[in-house]
Amino acid sequence: MFSSQAFKDGVKHAIGVPALGLGSSMFVFGAYLHSSGFSIFHSFLSTFFTFALPGQFVMAETILAGGTFLNIFLAVLLVNGRLYPMTVNLIPVIRSENTSKLKQYLAAHFIAVTSWFNMFDVHHKLKQEDKFNYFVGLGGFLWANSVVCTVLGYAFSNLVSHEILIAMVFINPMYFLIMTVSNLKEKKMITSIILGGILSIVLHNIFSGWSVLIAGISAGSLGYFIFKKENNE
Amino acid sequence: MSNQLIYLSIIAASLGTYFCRAFGVFSAKKLSVDSPIFLWIKCVSIGVISAVIARIVLFPAGLLSESTSLNRILCTLIALTIYFSFKKNVLLAVLSSAFCFGILNHFF
Repeated sequence: MFSSQAFKDGVKHAIGVPALGLGSSMFVFGAYLHSSGFSIFHSFLSTFFTFALPGQFVMAETILAGGTFLNIFLAVLLVNGRLYPMTVNLIPVIRSENTSKLKQYLAAHFIAVTSWFNMFDVHHKLKQEDKFNYFVGLGGFLWANSVVCTVLGYAFSNLVSHEILIAMVFINPMYFLIMTVSNLKEKKMITSIILGGILSIVLHNIFSGWSVLIAGISAGSLGYFIFKKENNE
Repeated sequence: MSNQLIYLSIIAASLGTYFCRAFGVFSAKKLSVDSPIFLWIKCVSIGVISAVIARIVLFPAGLLSESTSLNRILCTLIALTIYFSFKKNVLLAVLSSAFCFGILNHFF
């Protein structure tokens, strides 16, 4: 797998803007853990095993607030619930007949917004049998880069000013935004994107913790069913 | 904070996150890329991501909450303007926006 050309192409794809976008946020997360009293080994373990930034922040904030194991599990489950539809969506695209279940479950660890967007951007140009290795190269590099950046953020947080750290946090949502608008091609996608943003804002004060999931499911369902005819054409 | 408590928290966060991914793999077992459900899930995924972005820009937590809403909205518009004005250059749009955000936060 690791010597295949598809794997190497996936790694090359990840190097550059995708790695910069995610890496900068992970750097800030490392700096945040340092200022919050965690150790460098904790920062390493958190990104190594979780690799989903919003949930990692929730974990750190919940523990600082005195939360229990169950509090943290449920809070992270809720925040990272977005990974569920993304995984259901991506796995059928990248697997082939030869992809074992074990490999699918292992590769799922590399699914994040950045790897999901970038894989969907190129998958139609790849042969079906190459897609899995390509994704492992792409997602695996992003994951490894994130682990390194978290540790670097922890180690060098004292050398970076607070204002630069705030600007660095802004890189990742802007990268997500640009990748999202690059999907403004089909009517159902445009509707899902616009409604998702609007509903998230409207629902924020009503269902604070659930607003993102409710907004996303409602927006995606409306976008899909309003333009169902477009799907069948 | 005890060391043991932190390790338990990391385990809890990792399990909570991996559950979403593993359950996704399990649910996708018999799903075909040509099925209507697949298209619906793609719409839901992009809707959720759009909702996440709106929430980060307008109701951020952590470090971003130290900046003003006006700065965040302005820099979001800058990112979009540059992206569509410069042949959809992702790197230029993202970095210009973050650079402007840093400058605006310094002065305002």
